[in-house]
Amino acid sequence: MAGARERKEALHLADIRKTYYTETVEVPVLKGVNYDVWRGEFIGIMGSSGSGKSTMLNILGLLDKPTGGEYRLDGLNVAEMSDFELTRVRNVKIGFVFQAFNLFPHLTVQENIEVPMLYAEVPAKKRHEVSAYMAERVKLAHRLNHRPTQLSGGECQRVAVARSLVNNPTFILADEPTGNLDEKTGAEIMNLFHELHDAGTTIVMVTHNPYYESHYDRVIYLRNGMVWKIIDNIAGSTQEFPT
Amino acid sequence: MKLHDQLWLSFHNLMLHKVRSILTSLGIIFGVGSVIAMLAISEGAKIQALAQIEAMGTDKIIVSTRKPPTSGKDVSDSSGNSMMERYGITIADLDHIRKMDNVEEVAVARNSRKKILSGMKRLDLSLVGVSIDFMEFSRSQLVQGRWLSSIDGITNNCVIGSNVKRQLFSLGEQNVIGSTIMVERDIFRVVGIVENLHGTHIPGIGSPNDCIFITIMASDSIYGKKSYETSNRNPSVEDVDFDTFIIRVRDVSYIDFTSKRISSYMAKRHADTKDWTILVPLDLLKQQEQTQNIFTIVMSSIAGISLLVGGIGIMNIMLANVYERRKEIGTRRALGAQKSDIIKQFLFETIFLTSIGGSTGVALGVVIALCVTHYAGMPTAFSLWFILLALLISAVIGVLFGTYPAWKAAQQNPIEVLRSE
Repeated sequence: MAGARERKEALHLADIRKTYYTETVEVPVLKGVNYDVWRGEFIGIMGSSGSGKSTMLNILGLLDKPTGGEYRLDGLNVAEMSDFELTRVRNVKIGFVFQAFNLFPHLTVQENIEVPMLYAEVPAKKRHEVSAYMAERVKLAHRLNHRPTQLSGGECQRVAVARSLVNNPTFILADEPTGNLDEKTGAEIMNLFHELHDAGTTIVMVTHNPYYESHYDRVIYLRNGMVWKIIDNIAGSTQEFPT
Repeated sequence: MKLHDQLWLSFHNLMLHKVRSILTSLGIIFGVGSVIAMLAISEGAKIQALAQIEAMGTDKIIVSTRKPPTSGKDVSDSSGNSMMERYGITIADLDHIRKMDNVEEVAVARNSRKKILSGMKRLDLSLVGVSIDFMEFSRSQLVQGRWLSSIDGITNNCVIGSNVKRQLFSLGEQNVIGSTIMVERDIFRVVGIVENLHGTHIPGIGSPNDCIFITIMASDSIYGKKSYETSNRNPSVEDVDFDTFIIRVRDVSYIDFTSKRISSYMAKRHADTKDWTILVPLDLLKQQEQTQNIFTIVMSSIAGISLLVGGIGIMNIMLANVYERRKEIGTRRALGAQKSDIIKQFLFETIFLTSIGGSTGVALGVVIALCVTHYAGMPTAFSLWFILLALLISAVIGVLFGTYPAWKAAQQNPIEVLRSE
């Protein structure tokens, strides 16, 4: 299966650096990170706290700009983009899933799912169609008019996943999506991600939970602001980098 | 994000916190309410004052007799009649004024200065001899019976003002036409009742409502031009030709010129004593308008301060609101909201708040003004422009005080916001 997979680039990161400057000291957080993500891949990015994982997430999600290196998203060089352009790209090419779901409590499930389409200026009729379809995909069609407060944690995360999919993004960026869920619900959400993955969705999941290590196509380990190990579960190989 | 989606979102957010929204806009509600109430009251006062002035007629010039302040000093003149006092506007003045270009007609009146008694009580009424056209010139209206006409000549027919009827006759007497009234030793028959709706005060004779009118011919033949009065045991005789001229001009655009000509003529003729006054209702009207404008400006400034305070209150709440909703803002930014979308969202919320507050304030102001009219009897008036102005101003306040919190919201860094759990 691995060999048959067509290797089409989704993300390309080359020598990504991020240094935080304070008045007196510079704190290098990412010290030259290199990896590519292919279309249709399910990637896990793992690392303990202090490894630069959060900064990696922010850069991947275009919420933060690297101080050096090249980041190509779906063929676009996003390093040089303005805030306005980055926001456009974030809206249509990245689907966010947060640990705390980050749903809007006063909106219904359907309205929550439609939020990214509002910012993409999708007409109302199409918004309703797409949101209904996505709710069905995450098995929440019967909950469309409920509010997040009436849902369980697992259902909330399903809504968030549906929301991340509506603009047909290049990849889903999930930040510890099972972190606020119990084991069983967490497993259900992982199943949902597998279903999406099987349907061809590219997923990048940032986590510190080694429990799901075997779920990913590839796992990228960060330590000290650098990639030190990549495990390829499909090829069954492990690549280590001297740090 | 499309504009109508944006507007709906902002409105929806406000409705989530109804009580807070109402409390927030209280400052604007009371600010606008007091503005509207004050404007309505001042507008009412203005309309009332202008109506009184206008009631005299803007095409009129009124020249009247004023008792000179020199009375009591050397009053003996060549005639040897030591108690004789002659002053005021004269027949010669009347003839001269009548001949001026722009003067169409002059109505005249002379107060007989008779005491009008009801039993032993002296009433504040006057018996006035007038020319036939006086009713029209004083803008009075006939309520009952008829006005004086040339056939009344020197008869003892009289027309009474509405207050005179009230004071001389009992309430039960509905029809007083044909009744008689007695002034000193003379008896007059009432032929009509007139009323001046605005209660206009005409210099020289007072309000037409307080007058008993007889023809000037009758006045001349019954009393002559002299009036006798005893005050402090000093009998005095006053000799006055006329008390009031109401001059109607042909062309109002030259009224200034005409009044100046009359003034300079009168000043020359009455050089030694200033025993006359001139009044141009149109001038009064202009002055009154000017005073009102100043009043309105002062009022508006005070109202402006209260609106400013209301606006600052809203800004304060919105800033707190932005802080409280950091996570929402961060999530929206991550999901693709541009900075401008966030700015619009918060700005529209503020504008909605102030506009709704403004509309409520207008309603409140109208209610206050109506209460003032109802309970205090002060006249109030509304005009569309200050209601529109109030709404416009509240929207402008929304923009003015909503921009900073909205900008602040857009500056939130989504990373920090999303990370703070």
